[in-house]
Amino acid sequence: METSLRGKYAIVGIGETEYSRGSGRSTRAMGAEALRRAMDDAGLNSDDVDGMLSYHGGDSTPSTSIMYDLGLKPNFYMDCSGGGSSTEALIGLAMGAIEAGMCDTVAVFRSMNGYSSIRIGGTGARAASGISGLDLMKRPYGLISAVQNFAFNFTKHMSEYGVKSEDLAHIKVAHSNHASNNPKALMKQRVTVQDVMDSRWIIRPVAHLLDCCLETDNATCVIVTSAERAKDLRQKPIHILGAQGRGTKPGGDFHVQHGNLGRVAGHYVGPRIFELAGVKHEDIDVTGCYDAFTYTVLLQLESYGWCKPGEGKDYVKSGVINLGGEIPNNTSGGHLCEAYTHGMNMVIENVRQLRGTIDDYCPNAANGEHTYDYSEGGCRQVKDAETSMNMGWGTPAVGSALIMRRG
Amino acid sequence: MAVYEYRGQRLDIPDNDSEYRGYFEAAGEHKLVVKKCRACGLLRGEPGPGCPWCPSLEWDWQEVTGKGTIYSYQIVAHTVIPAFRDMAPFAIVLVELDEQSGQPTPDDGLRITANLVTSDLGPEKEENVAIGKRVEVIFDDEPEGISIPQFKLSGEPPKGDTWQHSV
Repeated sequence: METSLRGKYAIVGIGETEYSRGSGRSTRAMGAEALRRAMDDAGLNSDDVDGMLSYHGGDSTPSTSIMYDLGLKPNFYMDCSGGGSSTEALIGLAMGAIEAGMCDTVAVFRSMNGYSSIRIGGTGARAASGISGLDLMKRPYGLISAVQNFAFNFTKHMSEYGVKSEDLAHIKVAHSNHASNNPKALMKQRVTVQDVMDSRWIIRPVAHLLDCCLETDNATCVIVTSAERAKDLRQKPIHILGAQGRGTKPGGDFHVQHGNLGRVAGHYVGPRIFELAGVKHEDIDVTGCYDAFTYTVLLQLESYGWCKPGEGKDYVKSGVINLGGEIPNNTSGGHLCEAYTHGMNMVIENVRQLRGTIDDYCPNAANGEHTYDYSEGGCRQVKDAETSMNMGWGTPAVGSALIMRRG
Repeated sequence: MAVYEYRGQRLDIPDNDSEYRGYFEAAGEHKLVVKKCRACGLLRGEPGPGCPWCPSLEWDWQEVTGKGTIYSYQIVAHTVIPAFRDMAPFAIVLVELDEQSGQPTPDDGLRITANLVTSDLGPEKEENVAIGKRVEVIFDDEPEGISIPQFKLSGEPPKGDTWQHSV
């Protein structure tokens, strides 16, 4: 496997808009703000950012609009169709575009009015549209939303390994504890296992309401450039050890037609990302999982080898994924509690973790001073975080991963 | 272009739909069909143009018995589709058909999605839904001429152990 790019590129800028339910403005306006914030964070001006990559599901704004708004003159841009697991993959593609000599610095962004316009949960415009193609085998039966698309995998896994709804609730509890120390988070209230169990059912037996992520209006951005160029920029560079994906199970279908329903994309992406990055699980200090639902976290932790298949239900209850635990997961609160961004906020969070500049409630957080007291309303900085891993989930069959290390 | 209404939703099946038009035409004759590869002979449940196993582009429709086993399921307690709200909670099942079960690898099978319904096409009771239970196809004939394959419990003994969540 080609590993000569390990550490050759870095994330040098991060930016996000407010996370809201009702932005009151366009995806274009939000996208321009996220890019501008990431440029300011990096100390880059309009002449410096000559590459753009975005992903969308027909619900965003083209790069050509935002390059106009910010006076960019890209030598390279692409707007890609994609949702979850696109962030990590596009960071890899940004490295590739720079390596190919097409440009020097790439802004990767996602902009979506995921609450007030096109809702991921399938309500509104999605539910009202006509049905054709593959959907003819699903929507006539009432199968339309993301959790429904994944539920056969979840239920089968539950039946094989004895996973209980209470087990999944521990994931929500951990993420909500983290979000309580995140001023940006939409859902800051700490919840209990019982709160999750008492929330109304969406899909039995795999998802109560509180097992499901938020729907959010927001835009997010990360800027990728060479580690060499990064030396001159404002922030401590966060080196990219490896980006892998979007990788798939053989055939790329949801396992519904064939294959093992519990064997999700991480089973295939995992060995490649660890080899590419040249690290082992024990080298990782903090992780991010795509938590569209609590169950996607459990399946990612198992499939990437954090625990064995079937052990996830005990692993998530052991405290290891909590702040203060051995390998905290989704320290921002993730999609379940911070905001739903199609994967970017977990990468941004890990960049801040590795910089040591988490924006929590510590009195001197702005100066990079943290208390490491993770009680409610306190700290969420992981002490001495050097290496992070992000796991992106597109579907049970599709995933990406990213391993970063502080420079 | 054929346009149908089913449970308040519009189904678009244009003439150039080489995947699903034949599937629903067969369903209209109360036949459940899958595609059979002319080269390797393997069946595939999702009626795509190529064979995931070999990968030949030559195929024929093949009728199957419509008998199978519940492989996984979901109970929809909350639906975002307005016309389904009065039905909830209802079951969507992933049925593994008897043909080609465990082939060509032990993890493989012909699996299709449907609702688990009663003989009069109403939603089956949640307590009767379980992995491992035997089912058979039943066709939901719509006045507009389309027919939707559904599944109902066949009453045969289950295949191996059954599993269901506690209701």
